[in-house]
Amino acid sequence: MSFADILSIFSGALTTLLLSAAGIALGLPVGLGLALLRWARVPVAAPIVALYVSLLRASPLVTLLLLLFYGLPNVGISVGPVTAGVLALAMNTSAFNCEVWRAALMAFPKEQTEAAQSVGMRRGLRFRRIVLPQIVRIGLPGLVNEMTQLIKVTPVLALVGVVDVTRAAVRIGASTYEPLPPLLVAIAIYVPIVYALVSTQRWIERRQARLEAPA
Amino acid sequence: MNITIPTMPSDNTHALKVVGLSKSFGALHVLDNVSFGVAPGETVCLLGPSGSGKSTLLRCINWLERPDAGRILLNGRQVGISSGGVVMSDSELAAMRMHIGMVFQHFALWPHLTVLQNVMEAPVHVQRRPKDEVLAEAEALLRRVGMYEKRDAFPARLSGGQKQRVGIARALAMKPTLLLFDEPTSALDPELVGEVLAVMRDLAREGMTMVVVTHEMAFAREAASRIVFMDRGVVVETGDPETFFSAPKTERARQFLLRYASGPVPNAEPSSIVPLNPESASIRP
Amino acid sequence: MIHDFGIVWSERGLLLSGLMNTMLLSALAGFCALVLGVLLSTVLMQRARLLAQTARVFVDAARCTPFLLFVYFVYYGLPSAGLRFDNWSAGLAALIVYHTAYMGEILRGAWMAQPREPIEAGQAFGYTGLKLFRRIVLPPLALASAPVVGNQIIQIIKDSAFLTIIALPELTNAASSIQSRRYVPFASFIIAMLLYWALCLVVEAGVAAAGRMAQARR
Repeated sequence: MSFADILSIFSGALTTLLLSAAGIALGLPVGLGLALLRWARVPVAAPIVALYVSLLRASPLVTLLLLLFYGLPNVGISVGPVTAGVLALAMNTSAFNCEVWRAALMAFPKEQTEAAQSVGMRRGLRFRRIVLPQIVRIGLPGLVNEMTQLIKVTPVLALVGVVDVTRAAVRIGASTYEPLPPLLVAIAIYVPIVYALVSTQRWIERRQARLEAPA
Repeated sequence: MNITIPTMPSDNTHALKVVGLSKSFGALHVLDNVSFGVAPGETVCLLGPSGSGKSTLLRCINWLERPDAGRILLNGRQVGISSGGVVMSDSELAAMRMHIGMVFQHFALWPHLTVLQNVMEAPVHVQRRPKDEVLAEAEALLRRVGMYEKRDAFPARLSGGQKQRVGIARALAMKPTLLLFDEPTSALDPELVGEVLAVMRDLAREGMTMVVVTHEMAFAREAASRIVFMDRGVVVETGDPETFFSAPKTERARQFLLRYASGPVPNAEPSSIVPLNPESASIRP
Repeated sequence: MIHDFGIVWSERGLLLSGLMNTMLLSALAGFCALVLGVLLSTVLMQRARLLAQTARVFVDAARCTPFLLFVYFVYYGLPSAGLRFDNWSAGLAALIVYHTAYMGEILRGAWMAQPREPIEAGQAFGYTGLKLFRRIVLPPLALASAPVVGNQIIQIIKDSAFLTIIALPELTNAASSIQSRRYVPFASFIIAMLLYWALCLVVEAGVAAAGRMAQARR
């Protein structure tokens, strides 16, 4: 493997990270929105959200990605590989995030809302300053876990032509007839990133347990 | 109801004999040369402050803990060491344990089985007794401890006192030579302690050979045939309950009674004793 | 669009065989991963540190590796080290090895959460060895771990879709094949997704049933 090859793998890694970040950035707020719709039991939307989340959590990312990449043009919406990739990642992670947010909302003590109401806070303010900071704290381990999962499935982007780590590695392997080294490099790039995220999650959990332990 | 004496050959005056038992956990000497005997039909209460080694001693009797030195003899046969002088295999140990019943502090009922199944489980699957015979006995035992109506309930649905009564029935179903009680009421809410002690008192009265580790001083005073008082791994004093509670011979026993039982109480009528142990106000019937 | 679904319906044989292969792969991989996971969890809890540490490294490495990359590694990478697999073997092996690591970890977690006293009671009553395991240890453990194991099975079903990259004729591959030949991508992949959904609902129903059994005893 030449130096240029290694460089192209790292540039692929950059693509992976950028697209992951995009997927996470979209998936977090969308997941929260979906969770709020279900939690507030909005009449028509809530059951639709429930179905959507159930379907997406059960669907392999591969199938979803192929559906978006090949299927959307079929119904008149043209998408490129990057758009389809980010959209698939975002949709998938939003469904899982929705469940994490929902659990956090359900664990949120009702008295806090009532306390805020009793001092005259309106809904928007209440949500922003009281509810949101706390459910972020409660849901943080689960959300970080979802980010980890998202990063682990990014190789799927290679299937639609995005030149990420995986595609770069496979291409080099095909041209040098030595598939093993670039694949190992690709794995070696993923493992520390995922491991760092997992360690972060564990650290967050430990810290929360300590802070919440009775004095 | 009479507890039938099980079929172990009795060639000894003692049902249980503990000789020179020692055990350490690392540098900590939990048991130091402990010896005592239990005659058939006796109820021995092991008393002592926390950390005195009482529970460890009890658990050594059926080899749930392995002693470092000493011998345990059940009706003359050694527990844990086979006749060849080697440590018993799992199956040999299991065969001996069939004759020693145990009641646990946290009940230890098997959560996936109903009350009736819990009582029938070991007699059917370990002792391999016929199912209908075991069923009849199990139902009788459950009636005996007052848990017949709940025979199809799962342990999770029961109160602590109910669970412990089932635990006692379960141990009795094996027709043991010896019954061990490891702080049977320590994990119970105060108002539930009485129902368990009542069952234990009846068992003692009927001649069951029992070794009981407990903090229930009133129970010990009334139901025990002998008290063995331990402190820091050593047997400090033994004697009959009346003497121990009213006129202990050793200073350590006196200190213990002062702390846990508001001091020695001379000539008290057993049935009028108010719960002495401040940690569990058991309500006596 | 309706016409498209009609085309997919006409290709239902291929779709169904893809579904069968997915189910076969998932069931086989799930079973093997579970059995091997039980063994792995015992190794993880060994007091022999070298053995336990090695197992721990394996589990951590597997959980930090993307499954797709692992499949590429097994199918394309290993041949240059001398190990050549056909796509079925590679796919099955990848699924099993990867998910054994997960199963080992979750079973270890479930085991650690079990109370010790009922098992000790089993020993005190004369249970040993296989009998102790089968009648006293296993039932509560199985009930407690059913939800997480069920989740892992769902994960296996979804990971099986990645095997389309090595041309394994499972469900996603079948849908791809239909869409590339008959130009009905939306219809074919939507149907595939709905079929995956149905599979997962079946697994979840099984987990819920186990959950009800556990609830009665909780």
